[in-house]
Amino acid sequence: MRSPFAYTPRRGPLQSASPGAAVAYLGAFAVVAFAYSSPVVLLAAGVGLVIAGRLAGAGAAVRAALRMGLTLALLIVAVNALVVDRGETVLARLGEWPLLGQINVTAEALAAGAAIGLRAAVVMVAFAVYSACVDPDRVLRALRPLAGRSALTATLVSRLVPVAAADAARLRDAARLRGPGAAPVGRAPLARRLLAGSLDRAVDVAATLELRGYSLAPRRPHPPAAATFFRWKPMKKRCDRVGGWGRSGGRAGVRRRSRYDRRFYAVGAILLAAAIAGKALGADAFSEYPTVAVGLGPATLALSALLLLAGFAPFRRSPVPRVAHPTPRSQTASNSLPARGGI
Amino acid sequence: MRGLGAAVAILLACMATVAAAGCGLGPGKGLEDVRLTVTRDYGSVPLLSHDVGDVTESDTVMRVLERNADVSTRYGGGFVQAIDGLEAQERFGSSRDWFFYVDGVESTVGAADYPLRGGESVWWDYRDWGAAISVPAVVGSWPQPFAGGYDGRRRPVTVECRGGGAACATVRARLRDAGATVAADAGTSAIRVLVGPWGRLREDPAAAQVEGGPRRSGVFAEFRPTTHGYELDGLGEDGEVARSFGLGAGLVAAVRRGEAPPVWLVSGTDAAGVGAAAELLDETSLHARYAVAVEAGGEEALPIR
Repeated sequence: MRSPFAYTPRRGPLQSASPGAAVAYLGAFAVVAFAYSSPVVLLAAGVGLVIAGRLAGAGAAVRAALRMGLTLALLIVAVNALVVDRGETVLARLGEWPLLGQINVTAEALAAGAAIGLRAAVVMVAFAVYSACVDPDRVLRALRPLAGRSALTATLVSRLVPVAAADAARLRDAARLRGPGAAPVGRAPLARRLLAGSLDRAVDVAATLELRGYSLAPRRPHPPAAATFFRWKPMKKRCDRVGGWGRSGGRAGVRRRSRYDRRFYAVGAILLAAAIAGKALGADAFSEYPTVAVGLGPATLALSALLLLAGFAPFRRSPVPRVAHPTPRSQTASNSLPARGGI
Repeated sequence: MRGLGAAVAILLACMATVAAAGCGLGPGKGLEDVRLTVTRDYGSVPLLSHDVGDVTESDTVMRVLERNADVSTRYGGGFVQAIDGLEAQERFGSSRDWFFYVDGVESTVGAADYPLRGGESVWWDYRDWGAAISVPAVVGSWPQPFAGGYDGRRRPVTVECRGGGAACATVRARLRDAGATVAADAGTSAIRVLVGPWGRLREDPAAAQVEGGPRRSGVFAEFRPTTHGYELDGLGEDGEVARSFGLGAGLVAAVRRGEAPPVWLVSGTDAAGVGAAAELLDETSLHARYAVAVEAGGEEALPIR
């Protein structure tokens, strides 16, 4: 069984974009989620991310993240309602509790918990879309020249999650194959087994990465023997642009910049600029106590609309099928297509 | 069916337990009015003072304050950072913060954790706490804590006359008029009122805290020994002597040792001073004041500004 958060190669704009562009785009949503408390803005960021995830083909990741995020949000709402005794609208008095003292559940504490939970859910969806759409190998390649060891560690961490998911699936299969008379295996023993074997598996993954040369310093490009400085400089520039001539960034690994990069960089930058401007203009108007007040001013609505629109950034027009034209050009467009099954 | 019956029985038992524990839906039943006072600089500048009527059994000091003023908080909402824009600050050696007293007694818990039971006198004061970080008891909530007790419990009052003479009778009369239950000997739970010249009162360990200065007692006054007895000095906010009173000066102040009930001091340099101090026991003279000194009929709020 494959984890819904595991990266799946696709030909979508978000998958084709460079890691930097994808991080700029999805990171802008995460920054908004961390910086804003207004439920309107957070909801817009969440919906924008869901749209982005679905357009990028990461529907399963989005659904899984929403499930986890909303569960976490419910937990936060419950805890906040129990530990925060503020707000005007007392819904229930739960008496004296050990350690917690007098418990009064207020509508404002529930709303405040919901806002915090919504923020957590939005951040989780952003990271789910990132995990499902951004190739970790490309992230590693981008980071390796900057911090090789950190990149190796990051890769190890990012690879361990799908490895653990695969291990879990194998263990579950093995448990099922014991036959119908065997006692069912609960989640706790499975998790214990995975945890116990995680160190061995981490060493395996690290060794594999080591063999693939992830821990080596990037190979410096060698100028051609006869190249002069003036001939070499433009060549180096080109080499830098495509990621160097190192082991993983050499000619075989050259990946051209995606035509979608600019779009994601631009959307990310616009979102960040709008978030900063929105803060200054009061778009984050939200107070939980003593009574809930949600600002619905023009700045809030404009930023929310922008976040929703930003969700459509991974949209790609369906390519027009290129077909042969057996009929003369003089025929009308409606009958120019070949009949079904006629090719 | 048996399982369903057991579940219903357990549910009913839980509901009965919850109801018995004072739980329920909504804010609960209404309580007696609460008096809310907001001042700054040791009560010298009144900012807000009125009776709050819509108090319910789920209300806390914080909830009542938030309902009546614009409040910003810190540390998860438990502590007040600003009331009506007047913000706590710590700079240039001056530390100012919001403190609150319920029925004249400094709270040991945050405002959000202090439940109200109705009839309390809540006083918020914004002050410099450089000279005294803690002022455990104040006189500014008169007739509390005598009329209704403190900490949710009505308490008896004992008047200990230590050479106070006629002033003791005055004090007893004022307390009875305020609604206090004055008892001859009510044990350790009673609020004590010591009446007498300082030379006699200083023998009491609670009263003797005044000689340790405001940092120890929270009282911005000190009795200075002289050849003919004691003279009263009024201290400023910085804890330094700001004014020396002459003969016939009196003092009304409150002190507290640990968790023991507060002890009120009705004292003076001599019998005349004690008598003048006893006359101060009314709302007009004591409202929103930490302590009061009197000399020749003229009252002076302490600390002296």
